Amino acid sequence: MRTYRPFIAVLTLAAALTAGAAAQDLTLPNKAKDTLKFAVIGDSGTGDSNQYRLAKVFTDIFPRFPYEFVLMLGDNMYGGESARDFQRKFEIPYKPVLDKGIKFYAALGNHDSTNQRMYKLFNMNGERFYTFRPQMGVRFFALDSNYMDRPQLQWLEKELSASGSDWKFVYFHHPIYSSGGRHGSDTALRDQLEPLFLKYGVDVVFAGHEHFYERLKPQKGIHYFISGGAGKLRRGDVGGDFTEKSFDQGYHFMLFEIDGNQLHFQAISDQQKTVDSGVIARRQVDDKAAPSVPAAPAVKPVPPQDKPSGNKPSTSTDKPAAPAPATTKPAAPSTAKPAPKP
Amino acid sequence: MTKPLYVHVVALCLVAACSSSAHQAKPVDPQQTPRGSNVNPDAGLIADFKKRVDEYVALRNKAESAATVDLKEQSKPSEIVVAEKSLAERVRSQRTGAKAGDLFTPATQAMFRRLLKPPLGKGTDAADNKAIIKDDAPAPKEVSFKVNAEYPKETPLSTVPPDVLLTLPALPEDVQYRFAGKHLLLYDAKANIVIDFMLNAMP
Repeated sequence: MRTYRPFIAVLTLAAALTAGAAAQDLTLPNKAKDTLKFAVIGDSGTGDSNQYRLAKVFTDIFPRFPYEFVLMLGDNMYGGESARDFQRKFEIPYKPVLDKGIKFYAALGNHDSTNQRMYKLFNMNGERFYTFRPQMGVRFFALDSNYMDRPQLQWLEKELSASGSDWKFVYFHHPIYSSGGRHGSDTALRDQLEPLFLKYGVDVVFAGHEHFYERLKPQKGIHYFISGGAGKLRRGDVGGDFTEKSFDQGYHFMLFEIDGNQLHFQAISDQQKTVDSGVIARRQVDDKAAPSVPAAPAVKPVPPQDKPSGNKPSTSTDKPAAPAPATTKPAAPSTAKPAPKP
Repeated sequence: MTKPLYVHVVALCLVAACSSSAHQAKPVDPQQTPRGSNVNPDAGLIADFKKRVDEYVALRNKAESAATVDLKEQSKPSEIVVAEKSLAERVRSQRTGAKAGDLFTPATQAMFRRLLKPPLGKGTDAADNKAIIKDDAPAPKEVSFKVNAEYPKETPLSTVPPDVLLTLPALPEDVQYRFAGKHLLLYDAKANIVIDFMLNAMP
């Protein structure tokens, strides 16, 4: 046995180095300044080992890619909501970044009680739906898709109309476009929200609820991401006509970087592999000023390291909109410089 | 100086006309509004329902103002839990006589069933709406159908499609419609309690 020990040690070291190298393989520009970096997690709050394993990857990457805040796409807390649950399902797994002062901005999922809005670390200011502007020219809107009543719709229209030519990101729990077999697209919600998104030039929409990753083909010029696999996973559930890229073979989170009129994105699995990445060009300001149905900007993909799940016949009852123009050449490999320490 | 007969006839006609006009100016019972009128035939029932809801909200607000622990933004989740439970207890103590049907009266229930037919009855949209509710709604056995009962924290809240919310009477903030199976709950999201419920509301 003794003769094998050095060999095993070398193997372990090699495995650790390989994992570390994979974790550092950022495809994002990771500029030291003049960009806005943020992260997205969805359906995270199980408190189990799967959430913790992904949370470790998520927090370990922070020193290399210091995201400034995190969006939570709902189902922040499965099951009970005692004080202990808040710790076990949120505060402990994300402690390394919470301790750095990183803010989480939560949306409510169907497993979340409405009073999560009172929890200071979710930064909801006591509201079911809210907006925030982390820097000039970029605005986020968090919605409560469990209960899309008239006051919320009126509020959204008012806020969107006042947001001018900002980058506009809307996030909520239930996807209005999805290739999921279990849930699929919430068409009733789409009927209410999509006209507002189009009218006021929303750029990107995030949703959870489906326990997988999906980047959809742009729908009427809007980019949709589903990211509901930070604590739950439904293998073999995704794939269909809407899908541009999908992944349902592991847990994941997303990283984003806004660099002027470009949005860089990267989805990373619990195995520290990049499952999707690319660049989205912002819609022209003219489109926002005179909204009609603008053409979808192209997405430049970066080749993934993990093999995404194959497309399956669509289980949705509705048809996708015309696909975006064909994807173009892959973005250049990351030449990221080490980010400064926060 | 006697007036001619025709003067008396004209005067009588004028009196009759005024009398008729005065009769027509009487308030109209909204339940008897003729077809084709712009008046919502359910206006009376909706007003009655809203009045009852407003009375509940006034009671809840009073309970909240008297609470020792405020339900406000807190860093410590334990304080949120304590404040919510404390508020629920105070509401219960002020609603000891409350019973099922206080807000969903029989007449209101009939109206709700009528209103819920288009978004949840037949057709593709209705099927989609029902699927959305069914997707998240807890089974009836998971929820206590008792007035003032706590809504179980481990149980998901049903998603309510916008079509349904835009059809039913609007509610004040923190009072919500939710489903458990085919049953409709009137839910206080702040105190996390069942205000009232209506069995088999879904067509």
